[in-house]
Amino acid sequence: MRVPARVFADEVLLAAIARDRSLVQLQNVATLPGIVEAALGMPDMHQGYGFPVGGVAATDATDGVVSPGGVGYDINCGVRLLALPLAAAELGGRVEALVHEISRAIPAGAGKEGGLRPGAAAFDRLLAFGPRVLVDELGIGTEDDLERTESRGCLDGADPAAVSERARTRGARQVGTIGSGNHFIELQRVDRIIDAAAAACFGLAQGQATVLIHSGSRGLGHQVCTDYVHTMLAVAPRYAIVLPDLELACAPLGSSEGRAYLAAMAAAANLAWANRQAMTHLIRRSVERVLGAEAAAGTRQVYDVAHNIAKLERHGGRLVCVHRKGATRAFAGDSVEIPPAYRGVGQPVFIPGSMGTSSYVLAAEPGAMERSFGSTCHGAGRALSRTAARRRIGGAELRRQLAAQGIVVRCPSNSGLAEEAPFAYKDVDRLVAVVERAGLARRVARLRPLGVVKG
Amino acid sequence: MSTHTFAEHVGEVEIVLEAESETDLLREALAAFCELLGACGDGEPASHAVELLPGTPAELLWGWLDELMYLAEVEDFVPERATVIDFAQGGLRAIVRGVHGHPRHLVKAVTLHDLAAAVEGGTWHGRVVLDV
Repeated sequence: MRVPARVFADEVLLAAIARDRSLVQLQNVATLPGIVEAALGMPDMHQGYGFPVGGVAATDATDGVVSPGGVGYDINCGVRLLALPLAAAELGGRVEALVHEISRAIPAGAGKEGGLRPGAAAFDRLLAFGPRVLVDELGIGTEDDLERTESRGCLDGADPAAVSERARTRGARQVGTIGSGNHFIELQRVDRIIDAAAAACFGLAQGQATVLIHSGSRGLGHQVCTDYVHTMLAVAPRYAIVLPDLELACAPLGSSEGRAYLAAMAAAANLAWANRQAMTHLIRRSVERVLGAEAAAGTRQVYDVAHNIAKLERHGGRLVCVHRKGATRAFAGDSVEIPPAYRGVGQPVFIPGSMGTSSYVLAAEPGAMERSFGSTCHGAGRALSRTAARRRIGGAELRRQLAAQGIVVRCPSNSGLAEEAPFAYKDVDRLVAVVERAGLARRVARLRPLGVVKG
Repeated sequence: MSTHTFAEHVGEVEIVLEAESETDLLREALAAFCELLGACGDGEPASHAVELLPGTPAELLWGWLDELMYLAEVEDFVPERATVIDFAQGGLRAIVRGVHGHPRHLVKAVTLHDLAAAVEGGTWHGRVVLDV
């Protein structure tokens, strides 16, 4: 190990972390060339490929490496929160209708074709420039949406030419789709305001209706990761890189392979932001159909964060490549990266729980900049395998239980639904408490589900 | 006799394979992949050729499942069986028959995590982790 491995957790979470190989994986991360300070594990850390999920590592921009495994297969998997201009109580009996309309408007399930079918040239522009293309060319979205998206929805240096044809073929039909697994769209209500001033700044009020989108770059992002893991494995001997784990494949940031990966990763990240922007548009249309034009026009984006990404950032006066795999950026204070309206309060952070449990809105704290390269955890994290979850409950029974809680569910697969049962995930309340105690972010509001659309 | 089981994992799916030959190992991997897709093939019969460059048995196992994943996602192809599997010059040529359908496509990537395929004591063993 070149640096220590450091985990943010309480005793209960650490005991859960210790049950899989994530600590060993974090130790392996600490061997990466050019890694600085420490390999970090967030409270929701669990075993991944190479990097653990919930892992953060920064490598020196001059002599460090970049690792696709430190970003993850689903490049820019992330979360976007929308706020509707009405209270959840005003939805009345229209909750099911709205959830149903969203499920009709937005294809769920991996491999499904999406609502947008860009031609080749337009697809390249999405890769290069992200949702800006949708706003400028199709009127899908607003400047305010872009303002309230991490990096304004576009990473510089994206190069569509660095994305393979196989990746393009996988991604071309999927713009505006949720994807499967733990991806979802959730209709919620603001159940509790904890930090009134921050909530007011974010435009959130007690009882307000919100929509949370969790999705990423779909097949294109997965293929980019696959392509470059193999590319970097092939050239590892050239750079005298010895890997404790094949999925830690990496290359020097300044190498042709490292630069190509960053360019392709940026393209995939831009596509993911475009994907969430397209879904935002489809959600607004759904709101219009069910609640009317005024409600749709007033559906405002709170923020959009990535949780699988690598970014060049300056920390402690040093330019580093921060890998966040299943970890969210959390920039506090007056960072110019934060929308002007949020400076002084801190960047919004979203930590989804699971179906049937709470999600949280937080605001980044200065402790994140001091201790975790401006990062915090991204979600509840799985506690049970998919098989174990299916053994414990069937999809039909889970639907009944959620319905009894007043939660509307749209999911095409009963087995897929069972795999995402609430008990399959860690305790989000405990996770958020640890995040707050560690000084990484503070709670702003708690959100409770009213309905969920799953892939 | 060939078998496949799904090992317990949080977050991903691990397939553990046993077979009497490398050919059967790949057939068993196909069967495991089909099981993950679920019953979703109700369209026209179809077949696809799969060709892989020379590689180790583990690399061929990876490439085999990677191609099945790609065909399911891009072509809506639900594989049912491999009618030809030929390890020509260290690579692989195969014909996979199935149907077009609506595969429940849980598999997003075939990882290199713990990837293995080798013969031991006359039995082929394989292991592959799929990102879902």
